[in-house]
Amino acid sequence: MLKKIFVLIGMMSWAGWAVAQVNISAHTDKNMLTLDDELTLTVQVTGISGNIIMPQLPSLPAFNVYSREVEQNTINGNTTLLFRYTMLPRFVGNTTIGPIRFTYEGQTYKTEPISIRIYRNNTTATSPSAAKTKTPTPQLDASLPPLEKSLTKQAYAKSSEPFFLVAAVSDTNPYVNQSFILAIRFYYSKAFYEAPYQKPTVSNLFMEEESPREGTQNINGVLYRYQEQRYLLTAAAPGKATIGPASVHYRVGSSPLTAFDRLFGGAAISPEKTALSSPISIQVRELPSGEPSSFYGGVGSGYTLVAQATPQEVQAGEAVNVTVTVKGPGNLKATQNLTFPSMDGFKIYPAAATSGTGTSPTGNLYSYKNFKAVLVPVSSGIYTIPAIKWSYFDLQTASYKTLQTTPISLTVKPTSKSERAFDFSGSSPSTENGIQALTNDIAYLKTTRAPDENLLKKLSRLDTLNWACLLFVCIGILFTVVGRKPLERKKAFVTAKNQLKQADSSQRIAEALSTYLQQKLRIHTGSLPVKEITTQLHQKGVTPATTEAFLFLWQRLEAERFAPADVSTPSAINLPQEALRILKLMEEEIQ
Amino acid sequence: MKRWLLLSCFALLFVSGFSQNGWQQAEDFYRQGKFSAALGLYENLLKDYPNDPFVYYNIGNCYFKMGSKGLAAANYFRAFRLAPRDSDIRHNLTLALASGGERLVPAGMPVILHKGFFYLSYAELKGLAYAGLWFVCALILLGLLRRKWSSWATVCCVLWLLLAGWWYARARLEQEPLAVVASAIAEIRSGPGTNFPASANVAQGHLVTILDDKDSWYEVIVTSQGIKGWVEKSTIEKI
Repeated sequence: MLKKIFVLIGMMSWAGWAVAQVNISAHTDKNMLTLDDELTLTVQVTGISGNIIMPQLPSLPAFNVYSREVEQNTINGNTTLLFRYTMLPRFVGNTTIGPIRFTYEGQTYKTEPISIRIYRNNTTATSPSAAKTKTPTPQLDASLPPLEKSLTKQAYAKSSEPFFLVAAVSDTNPYVNQSFILAIRFYYSKAFYEAPYQKPTVSNLFMEEESPREGTQNINGVLYRYQEQRYLLTAAAPGKATIGPASVHYRVGSSPLTAFDRLFGGAAISPEKTALSSPISIQVRELPSGEPSSFYGGVGSGYTLVAQATPQEVQAGEAVNVTVTVKGPGNLKATQNLTFPSMDGFKIYPAAATSGTGTSPTGNLYSYKNFKAVLVPVSSGIYTIPAIKWSYFDLQTASYKTLQTTPISLTVKPTSKSERAFDFSGSSPSTENGIQALTNDIAYLKTTRAPDENLLKKLSRLDTLNWACLLFVCIGILFTVVGRKPLERKKAFVTAKNQLKQADSSQRIAEALSTYLQQKLRIHTGSLPVKEITTQLHQKGVTPATTEAFLFLWQRLEAERFAPADVSTPSAINLPQEALRILKLMEEEIQ
Repeated sequence: MKRWLLLSCFALLFVSGFSQNGWQQAEDFYRQGKFSAALGLYENLLKDYPNDPFVYYNIGNCYFKMGSKGLAAANYFRAFRLAPRDSDIRHNLTLALASGGERLVPAGMPVILHKGFFYLSYAELKGLAYAGLWFVCALILLGLLRRKWSSWATVCCVLWLLLAGWWYARARLEQEPLAVVASAIAEIRSGPGTNFPASANVAQGHLVTILDDKDSWYEVIVTSQGIKGWVEKSTIEKI
């Protein structure tokens, strides 16, 4: 219990000590100013309570203090006092605001001294007497960047004016797709009331605005403040590109205000004036030919290319996110999207590329572009995402350079799911019968020669021989067709004789006679009456006696064939001989 | 004489051993993913076996793996013309053509009919037509000499005429000057020169028919789209 009391007392005394800690600090809104400017001194006191106690300002011979504000903030019992003094400079030169004292509960606290430099105002600088003694433009520091050098040079040239606008580019002869800076600075050595700014118009250039900046610069002994707007320009196509004039429309007091006027808020606003920057002409160069296939339009120096895949161990069918990031100077937004190489065993779904700009710790501007793709392995195994190439035109060496990523190893395990886990295609193959189609790849190599040619192929080679033989056969057929009938005619008697030798009936004898008449004399006995046959036999040169004998025989044979009861058997046996005799007579007579 | 025979035998053995090694080495390169090295070996083998469909097939495989789907399709096509019944060649050709949006079997045609039409290679069909012609001639001769063969001769004659029709159709296809777009993009222009505006871009793997030839330009018609124009010779591969 006693221990707890001690702890409580200790804590209370520490809290009291902490509350009693008083801090005082002072700062000014600027360390350099002209006689036309005013200076705000802020004194901050923390750790006090009770009534407001004013700090004690030191002697300030170089300033007139004409305004004072007090602000009190109390948070959780801690009070902070802010004392703001507005002061007007009186003399040119270096001066110091000495330590500011603050006495609280018998103890005195003080601030650090503050150094201030006061310059003459622009009116003084441009007075006729001053103009005569104006110093020439000093030699600019050679180590200055070209852009800064150009801006400063222009500023020195215009330093006789209290308000002016200058513009410069970091490169006047860029390549296509090369990015460079356009800086526009509005210098002023006097206060102004309003100054709307109008950015320049450009042709054959892409323009992106950067955040504005402010600064001060001593030009010919006059302290100028400036507001600067920078743009990132990218050349679109070879040829001429132009940057028009930027403008600032400003209003100022018509005459320098006296300290009295300022104290009572006096003002005399002049009519609106315009400060214009000079237009700039740029000649854009074409990139040299011979760009590699992995060139997507990047122009600059110092690019980096990194690829990463997450996760690197998955199951078949699960997605692996691959991101390739290219980073470097210039504007990568205008470059084309990288093409991911096809990979066996993977389905690749490229996603939209994203790009942006940023500032490096050293203050340099850079841009980046992320190319993303989802890879879906279709089967298990150990795979490697091959090196991905990205080429750019290096401005330092004026040549194409190729970056490539480090190959990434992926371990794909067999899937433990019955259904495909990941499929963008929307056409998931059927898993019926326990078979799931994964991919459709080409069939493997043939490891041996093709079988020897078959007979048909060999035959097809014998073109000449085939056609020659065909011709021979055709000629043969032709001869056969043309010579067949004379041959038949020639052979008609022999054929009929053979038939008669083998004839054992009147039917056969009639057939033999009919064949002879048909082949030899072209008389079709079957379709002609007897009278007609007689006529035709006469016409073919057969004598009437032979014709008579033939007709007798023919009628006899017909009688035997169609009315066998009326014919005696012995005469029928002699018929072949009779027929042969008549045919012999006909053969002789036709000859 | 004996010495010459021995030398010839040795040379034959050497050549066959080298080619065998070439096949094996090319396959080893292919399996290791060194497709361009394998391609070089297969192209060497092609000099020894210019009519081997399997060499064309393997060259097509190498090109396919290297991402040149157009050149792959051209080589598969050559292999298909030599060995149309090989299922692997048909499969790979179908895949390579599909990557360029083309089809091996025309839309609406049953696959079985296409397979039937291309069952025999052109050389085989020609050989069959020759053999058939001989057979028909023999039958006609027989039919003329012996009446009872004439009806068989007529039937065979009709069959051979059908065969001849098939042969003629295949010959027309065989003689068609086909080509495949081999570069990533082929620009189709209205005239044979870069001063003529490009009317269309045709992607790799598309089939085109060559109509005319002028300097370094071909006049082509894109078979599947019916677009006609001039392309640079270097952008397409004749089959």
